[in-house]
Amino acid sequence: MIAGVVIAILLCLWGSFASYGSESDVQQQYRDPYMVSAQFTRLGGVLSAIPEGAGIGYITDAPPGSGLEAGMFLSAQYVLAPRLLKRGTVAEWVLGNFSRPADFAAVGRSQGLLLQQDFGEGVLLFRKAH
Amino acid sequence: MGLIWVVEAILLGCLLVNRFADLSVVRPAWARWSLICGAGAAVGIGLTSALYFLCGTLLGMRAAALGLEVAVLVWAAYEAFRRRAPAPQPAGEKRAPLLISIAAISLLLALAMATAAIATSWDANPQGNWDAWAIWNLRARFLASGGALAQRAWSSKLDASAHAEYPLLLSSFVARSWAFSDSFSTAVPEATSYAFFLALIALVAGGMAALRGPMLGLLAALVLASTPALLHQVPNQYADVPMACYFAGAIVFALLDRPILAGIFAGCAAWTKDEGVLFLAVLLTVTAALKRRAALATLAGAAPAAALVVIFKTWLARGNAGLLSTSLPGAGKRLADVGRYGITIAAFDREFAGLGVGWYHPILPLIALAVVLRFDRERRRDAAYCGALVGFLLLGYFGVYILTNNDLTWLLQTSLNRVLVQVWPVLVLAGFVGLRVPQAAVIVKPVPPAAKARRKTRRLQMF
Repeated sequence: MIAGVVIAILLCLWGSFASYGSESDVQQQYRDPYMVSAQFTRLGGVLSAIPEGAGIGYITDAPPGSGLEAGMFLSAQYVLAPRLLKRGTVAEWVLGNFSRPADFAAVGRSQGLLLQQDFGEGVLLFRKAH
Repeated sequence: MGLIWVVEAILLGCLLVNRFADLSVVRPAWARWSLICGAGAAVGIGLTSALYFLCGTLLGMRAAALGLEVAVLVWAAYEAFRRRAPAPQPAGEKRAPLLISIAAISLLLALAMATAAIATSWDANPQGNWDAWAIWNLRARFLASGGALAQRAWSSKLDASAHAEYPLLLSSFVARSWAFSDSFSTAVPEATSYAFFLALIALVAGGMAALRGPMLGLLAALVLASTPALLHQVPNQYADVPMACYFAGAIVFALLDRPILAGIFAGCAAWTKDEGVLFLAVLLTVTAALKRRAALATLAGAAPAAALVVIFKTWLARGNAGLLSTSLPGAGKRLADVGRYGITIAAFDREFAGLGVGWYHPILPLIALAVVLRFDRERRRDAAYCGALVGFLLLGYFGVYILTNNDLTWLLQTSLNRVLVQVWPVLVLAGFVGLRVPQAAVIVKPVPPAAKARRKTRRLQMF
C-alpha cells in the first residue's frame, strides 16, 4: 500500500516537471502571438484623439472573416475601450487599422472618408465626408 | 496598487468564512485553515465582485461599494481578534507520519513548479490569451470606466465575439480592482486567476483531508496541482479556472454538510459563466435526490447570486442571444444527426487524453491509488453524489454540443479542453472520496458539531 502511494506521488511529480517543461516551451514559442501589448503603443495616439464615450467606425485591409481580421479588431477594441468599435463606416469618426502600406487617403476617399490623422504603423483616423 | 485590492477581497472573504462557516471542528488544523483560505479567496472575490456590480455599476456609487467593503473588513477583523482561540497546548501535538510529510513536501514542490510554469506565461503574455482580452478583461475595462460607459459591458452593440450575454463575476472583480486602484495593471487579472488556482488546490486539500484524512487530502491536491491542462489555463486569464474552483468548492462543502456555503459556491459559478447555470441546476437536482435535507439550504445559499444572474440575463442583457437560444431553430434536425454524436464522443475522448502532456496523464496517479487502496464501500453515498454530479454535468455539456448551431468541429476544438478543465477537479473529488484511507488519520464526519446547536442561540449562523 505504501509503495502504491509513493508511486502516485512520484507520478504527480513527474506530471509537475513535464508541465513546467511543456509550458515553458509553449510560452517561449508563442510570446504575445496577437501582439496585444504592442497595440497599446501603436494605438496610443487614437486614445488621446477620441473621447471615451465615442463610438468609432472601423476599416481594415485584413480579409473579412479571417483570424487576422478578428485579432486586429478585437485587440484594437480592447486597447481603445471604453470607446466602442463598430465595423464599417457607420460613425462620424472611423479608425483605420491596416497591416500593409497603401495610399490611405485614397482608401478613405473610396469609402466616403477624409483622412484626419496618420499615427503611423498603419493606424489612421478618418472622418466622414459630408 | 491593484494587487492590494485583490488581497483585500481575499482577506475579507477569509475573515467572513472564518466568522460564519463554523469550520472550527475541522481537523487537522491545516485542513481547517486550508478550507478557510480557499473558500475565503473564492467567496471574497465573488462577494466584492457582486457588490461592485450592484453599487458601483448599477447604482453608480463606486465610493459606497469601496466604503462598505472596508467597513465589513474592519468589523470582520475586529470579530476575528475578539473571538481568537486560545493558543494550543504544544505537549499534545503529534508528529505527522513520514508518508504524510513526504506528500506535503511533494505538494509544495508541485505548487512551486506550477507557479514557475505560470510565471513564464505572465512574462510572455501579460494580457492573457484570446478570450481574456476579447471577452473577460475587455468587459472589465468597460465596467471600470463607470457611469453610462459601464453598460457597454453588456451592450448588444458590442461585437458578438465579446459575448455580452456572459455573466460578470470575473470581469466585475477585475474592474473593481482596476477602478479602486485607478490603473489597468495586468497584475490584477493575473493575480485573480492565480488566486482561483490556489483556492481550488486549498479547497480540495482541506476538504478531502477533513472528509477522508490528511493523506488523501494531500494526494488529491497533488493530482490537481500537477494536471498539465489545468496549469495551462491559469495564465490564460479565462473564467474556466474560477469555474473549476466554484464547482469543487460547492461539492466539498456539500460533502462537509455545509449546504448554504455549497449553494453560495454554486451561485457564484452561475454568476461566472453560462456553464455555471447548468452546474447550479445539476447540483440542486442531485442534492434534492440524494441529500434531501440539504436541498433548501443549498437553494437559499445560491439564491442571491442566482437572482443577480436572472436580473442580468432577463433585464440588462436581454438583447443578447445566448448559445442555447440561438441553437433552438433546427435543434430537432441536429438531435437526429447521428454523425454529430460520433464527432462529439471522439472529441471528448481526444480532449480527455489531452489533459496530460507527453506520456503523463493526471488519471495515472488516481488509477495507481485505486489499484492499491481500492474503494471504501462505506463511502459509496458520497461517491454516488459526486459521480452523479459529474455524470449529469458532462451529459449537459454533451447535449449543448449536439444542439449548437455553431460549427461543431470549431466549437469542440476551441472549448472542450477548457470545459474538461472545469470538470476535472470534480472527477478527482469523486474518485478520492470513495478511496480507502491509506493510514490512520483523524477524520471529521460530515455532521454538524454538537456545539453548533448551543452557538445558534448565541450568534447568527450564516453558513
